[in-house]
Amino acid sequence: MSVIEVEELAKVYRAGKGDPVRALDGVSFAVPAGQIFGLLGPNGAGKSTLIKCLTTITAPTSGRAAVRGFDVVRRPLDVRRQIAVVLQQAAVETMLDVEDNLLVYAYLHGVGRRESRRRLRAIVEEFDLGGLLAETVQDLSIGTKRRVQVAKIFMVDAPVVFLDEATTGMDPLMKRRVMERIRAEARAGRTVLITTQILSEAEQLCDTIMIIDHGRKLAAGTLPELRRLAEQLFRVSLTFAEMNEELAARLAGLEAVEMTIDGRQVELVFRGEEAALLERLADIARLVPITGFEVRGADLEQVFVALVEEKR
Amino acid sequence: MNAVAAVFYRDFRQRTTNVAWLFWDLFVPVAYLVLFGTGFERAFAGNFAVGGESVGYVAFLLPGVIAMASFGVAMNTSWSFFMDKDSGIFYELLTYPITREQLLIGKICFNVLLAATGTLLVIAVGVLAMGVEVRWGALPLTFLAVAVTTAGWFFMFSIFAVRMRRMDTFNTFTSAAYIVLMFISAMFYPLEELPPWFRGAALLNPMTWQVDLLRHTLLGVGAGATVLLEALAFGAFTLLCLFFAARAISRAA
Repeated sequence: MSVIEVEELAKVYRAGKGDPVRALDGVSFAVPAGQIFGLLGPNGAGKSTLIKCLTTITAPTSGRAAVRGFDVVRRPLDVRRQIAVVLQQAAVETMLDVEDNLLVYAYLHGVGRRESRRRLRAIVEEFDLGGLLAETVQDLSIGTKRRVQVAKIFMVDAPVVFLDEATTGMDPLMKRRVMERIRAEARAGRTVLITTQILSEAEQLCDTIMIIDHGRKLAAGTLPELRRLAEQLFRVSLTFAEMNEELAARLAGLEAVEMTIDGRQVELVFRGEEAALLERLADIARLVPITGFEVRGADLEQVFVALVEEKR
Repeated sequence: MNAVAAVFYRDFRQRTTNVAWLFWDLFVPVAYLVLFGTGFERAFAGNFAVGGESVGYVAFLLPGVIAMASFGVAMNTSWSFFMDKDSGIFYELLTYPITREQLLIGKICFNVLLAATGTLLVIAVGVLAMGVEVRWGALPLTFLAVAVTTAGWFFMFSIFAVRMRRMDTFNTFTSAAYIVLMFISAMFYPLEELPPWFRGAALLNPMTWQVDLLRHTLLGVGAGATVLLEALAFGAFTLLCLFFAARAISRAA
């Protein structure tokens, strides 16, 4: 059974005398229980609007969305009882200290005093917040505020977690720790919907990924499925015996999606039939011998760029 | 923890982190009563007639100062919506398992307590230091009136705090509201001798209803039927503002 169900969801913003903006334009998808679902898209694609609709901050203009069977428009309070949310903006209680930030969050989610205190001790240790408990949050760095914000959601047992660019501003060690914790939560049955601009993060974390742009779904699936959707997109690493102008010109003639030349090393992202690519490379190798050669499927970033540019 | 209690705890912790806020909320009304009251009592050197009853200026002013304290607390509390919007927590709050009404009521609970404390201070100073005689028996009614009217003003300001995008616009609005609502009312002077247009405007002003109600419960002055009508009008004003404030929060994003 799907924990998050979205059907033909649309959101139109009307501001002042300007034309209405369709932030979401008929998006549909479903997320099964215990999955980490990645929502990717360029800035302004509609990711945050989608999260706002699913978390009942704003009502969709049309279509339907439900979280654990509760409609976001008709049963918003029931939806809010199922979710914990990290929004894109570093949302923290700036006037309160770290301890109160965590406790108030738990209290507002209906967790009792004693249980909140018990959870506080565990979370403080896990997120290295012990020395900061009495610090007022407005005095902390952006990265630490973000850490407090993310730590909060682990104070509650909400079965569905929304993370809108949750690791932005965190140091790499803490980011890794948060990612491990998210994986553990999903294994324990929590459903996680994340948005991120860091595609390698999505690649490592997500079971399923959906790419949206201009409020529309471009593609969705597992990473291998998305690679297939990106139509024969290859990443080729080549090492030549030497580099010269004629070789560089021949390489440019391949019309790769992306090409970087670093001394004798060449990285190409190529779209097309693999056999045709190998034939053309063999032709180039007659000019300058190839001493190193590797072909891989494209990574998520290349798939993302290819899909977004293709649909624009 | 119950949702309203949790919001109450949040506001309590927020407000008690900043002593300056508490100073403004609690001691400015007392200063008004002592300084303004003493100055004008001497200047007028006589009693005021309110609904046929005669009272001294300090006694006349005391309910007005309580109304001012309640108005100030409500205004400062609604300003916290801007802080919440600035820190981003406002939108996160909208994803918590609480209703918009619980959020508003929880926020006002602590501030009603604050307004009640301010009221107690003003009454204590008025009675002990300035010789005002109050109706002790009606004190619970006075506190009930303070609670409802503080909530009413808070809900009214919340509509604007949530809807307005810019803090400077909101500050201009609250300053204008402060001047207009307090000075075109029965807070500082009796309405009987004022020009008809002024009197008419003041009678439509919820601040006049609040002051008349407090004057009646504290001092026993004013016509009972009129005060009852004003109390009912303020109750309706409070419910209407709660409805529109909850709607504004729902539409905030």
